Amino acid sequence: MIDAQYLLSDADVARFIAQGYYLVEPALPEGLNEEIANRLDELEENPGDAITEAVPELRQVLDHPTVRGVLVSLLGAGYEVQSHRHWHCKQPGSGHMQWHQDSTNSRDVRIDRFLGLFYPREVTADMGPTVIVPGTQFRNAPTDRMATYTNIRGQVPLVVKAGTVAFTHYDIWHGTAANRSSAKRHMIKFLFRRTAPSEGPTWNHDPASLNRPTNWNQKDGAEDVNNILTFLNPLGVSQSDHYKERAIRRRCWDQLMGKG
Amino acid sequence: MEQSNLRSQGPARQRLLYLHARTPSVFSDILGLTRVEPVAGFRAEISAQVQDWPYSTVHDAVVDGWQVVQFPQHQAPFDDCELDLVGYEFILQKMEVIEE
Repeated sequence: MIDAQYLLSDADVARFIAQGYYLVEPALPEGLNEEIANRLDELEENPGDAITEAVPELRQVLDHPTVRGVLVSLLGAGYEVQSHRHWHCKQPGSGHMQWHQDSTNSRDVRIDRFLGLFYPREVTADMGPTVIVPGTQFRNAPTDRMATYTNIRGQVPLVVKAGTVAFTHYDIWHGTAANRSSAKRHMIKFLFRRTAPSEGPTWNHDPASLNRPTNWNQKDGAEDVNNILTFLNPLGVSQSDHYKERAIRRRCWDQLMGKG
Repeated sequence: MEQSNLRSQGPARQRLLYLHARTPSVFSDILGLTRVEPVAGFRAEISAQVQDWPYSTVHDAVVDGWQVVQFPQHQAPFDDCELDLVGYEFILQKMEVIEE
């Protein structure tokens, strides 16, 4: 069981569905981030999936209630931390990485798996941050066809404090900026998965929230599920695309509510 | 005099501008921008800095002298449920003598 204070709200869940990411800054033990970053600095080769054996302190991040609260909220109490994980070290002087979606173009609009990106060291804009494009997680776009995009309005560089975990939808468009600093930019990627279909909300759900009428005055500024799912348009895409997004978001929400 | 200067700097080269607009209209807002300069070693790259684009629409770029060389394809198949790429791609060029 996890204390309800760590679970997401209805609005948090709706924003994750619409934007495809959610950031947390767990209150990790003092010195842990530095210890992890220093150990990563000293690694001479990439241990691949064995990164948690090479740096066992990472398990404290996975076990932190703030992290677990997000996972329980979105994947249920039986969520699985998959064996695949990876240390991404962006070396000083390395160039940018082109936009891409991971894996092949068999996209899943259900929230059954997503990534957790842990940054043990502060990431500044010149350190080659991961850059994500909110709202693109439902797009089925072969990576080759993204090659003529460079900067996209609404893209979000993950310029974050040490200890931040960015939960990102598996299919969100992502890349990196160049690292022009003298520091290594570390990121550990974890993959999380649902193990059983949702039978109902596993976050701090308020049933009344679904009965409130859509607020056309505040639109996506309202902390309300209906408003967020209906109006949030992080890139300012066309009406046609936005209507399709709305339909997919509703299917995601219904699935998480145990109706899908 | 001006012509002789041009000769000394070589022929005009093709600058490219990929603009991804919200709709196929040249008046709609731009969602994506890639500039390709005809200079050896040039690479367009994703930036973590605040975006400061010179144009808000394709029309703005045309007013500034860019010529559209490829318009988005209206006859392309579409799906009314699935989503794919962001925006509609216009490719523009400007022929200019480049000083290196």
